[in-house]
Amino acid sequence: MTARPPAYGLIAQFDSADRLVAAARVLHRAGYRRIDGFSPVPVEDLAPYLPGEAGRRWLLPLAALAGALALGGGGYALQVWTSAVDYPLNVGGRPLHSWPSFLPATIILGILGAAVAAVLTMFALNRLPEPYHPLFNDPRFHRASGDAYFLCVESADPLFEARRTRRALEDLRPDRVAEVPW
Amino acid sequence: MAALPHHEAGAIVLEQRFGWRWAAGFAAALGGVLVLAVACAGLFVWGVGVWGTNVPYVWAFDIINYVWWIGIANAASLLAAALVLRGARWRTSINRFAEAAALFAVLCAGLFPILHLGRPWLFHWVFPYPATFEVWPQFRSPLVWDFFAILTHIVVTALFWYVGLIPDLAALRDRARTRRGQVVFGALALGWRGSARHWLNHQKAYRILAALVVPLVVFMQSTVSFEFAVTVVPDWHRARFAPYFVVSGLLSGLAMVLVVALLVRTLLGLHELVTRRHIDIIAKLLLANAVVMAWSYGFEGFVAWQAGEHAWHSALEKVTGPFAPLTWGAMLGTVGAAQALWFARVRRSAPALIAVGVLVNAGVWLDRLVIVVGGLYRDHLPSSWGTYGPTWWEAGLLAGTIGLFCALMLLFVRFVPAISMFETHAEHGGPGVRPGVRP
Repeated sequence: MTARPPAYGLIAQFDSADRLVAAARVLHRAGYRRIDGFSPVPVEDLAPYLPGEAGRRWLLPLAALAGALALGGGGYALQVWTSAVDYPLNVGGRPLHSWPSFLPATIILGILGAAVAAVLTMFALNRLPEPYHPLFNDPRFHRASGDAYFLCVESADPLFEARRTRRALEDLRPDRVAEVPW
Repeated sequence: MAALPHHEAGAIVLEQRFGWRWAAGFAAALGGVLVLAVACAGLFVWGVGVWGTNVPYVWAFDIINYVWWIGIANAASLLAAALVLRGARWRTSINRFAEAAALFAVLCAGLFPILHLGRPWLFHWVFPYPATFEVWPQFRSPLVWDFFAILTHIVVTALFWYVGLIPDLAALRDRARTRRGQVVFGALALGWRGSARHWLNHQKAYRILAALVVPLVVFMQSTVSFEFAVTVVPDWHRARFAPYFVVSGLLSGLAMVLVVALLVRTLLGLHELVTRRHIDIIAKLLLANAVVMAWSYGFEGFVAWQAGEHAWHSALEKVTGPFAPLTWGAMLGTVGAAQALWFARVRRSAPALIAVGVLVNAGVWLDRLVIVVGGLYRDHLPSSWGTYGPTWWEAGLLAGTIGLFCALMLLFVRFVPAISMFETHAEHGGPGVRPGVRP
């Protein structure tokens, strides 16, 4: 087991979304991979610089589809089993497997399954809930939900080297650069 | 700083500058909740005998109120979801409270199917669990379909609302000055950091939820109509009931969102966020819907004329019989009141719009009454012809749920940003983003 690096990483603070994207592009080109941006609004242009996100593009929609099939299919199976197998009730000789009357609950349960799966997958991918995170140690990080844009390079990045990375961040002319303690 | 629109939306929650007007409104709403509690208690103690319902009128206020509230909920959800999917630039100030109105309306609606059961404490019997008496729910019954529909609606609307709220809860956590605010908002924000990865997945999940809400409300509203359509009552047994319920529900939901938008704007002073243009667009949507509604009424008459003696007799009774004032009231309220919206002067006047919104909602409520009660007035058998009059207990349920809805709305505007802070920041331009350019 390797020793834990002394800090979680380094963050640079910017004053606009455009500067954050430009900085992420420079660091990504320099070979940094464990970088992340933090912003008060969604910054879609940051997506290309997030490692592994391109491969997971379809994960959320597919999870929603799986949830719909699982709960909708399970719901349909339950209706057929309870109404036609476990407790068959002959009403005027009508078919026991009366599929049209099983559709409303099936469709609606499918939508429920998709919605719950989408939200749970979103939580899992974002690792929420996560009450503690080293970034909250930065005294100004609370501005990430207000008027500041942050770029973080994690010390887990193979290229990370405290002094060199700090210089690379300072070259981007941020408002400030700070070390994030654990 | 406080001049920025999205700061204003957060400051309302954090600074709590609510005066006597909020307190007075909340006290009145709590009075309504008390009425609801009494009406429910009376029902639980003495049973459905306290209502005016009796054969042939097995359904009355219970189902009228249910259909009315669920229509409001569905339409408000549909509006919010359509706004998110369209990416409409003016959506940001409307969708949050449209979602809230939908959630609270569905909570009000969900009470009624339980209350109308006769033995409401056994409502869990509609859930398929392996009970010791080894009987399963009857899945061919609309009551069971409805259980799943309401449950799904509550869960999906709550998720849609909460997922959209998470970034704003994090912003409130970061801005809260009090320890209590930091802890409460911090816990609710789940540790949101605004990371690019967070945003990417969040926006995807939010749009998926919006895309799911659209079919959900259409299916749900149709399921509500099946409660009537699968019976053999001449006035109810109609395939066109599903689209009719969607259209008329949309009308009441739009009217409700319009009224809520005007009240939120005036009472919270959000004139820069909920602009005249927003109000104008909702008013025009309402008008367009009223035109479709007029067509539906015409179509209803045409179908009844074509469908044979029973249906025609039943339809004629509706417009000339003892329910005629209610039928004409429903038409005047829904289609008639909305015609005032052709005039730009009406669309610019808050009191006039609130009056139209209330009239439309009253009209849709009467429309439900005419369907539920009026539909049973002329059944196939003359022996089941009778009349119906509500009791105070039933009126109490209606007044009580209106009170509950208002109380929840008042709590919502006080403790949750009524307008999406991060979306307003992105759309109107705030620190670091140019207005209208989504970064």
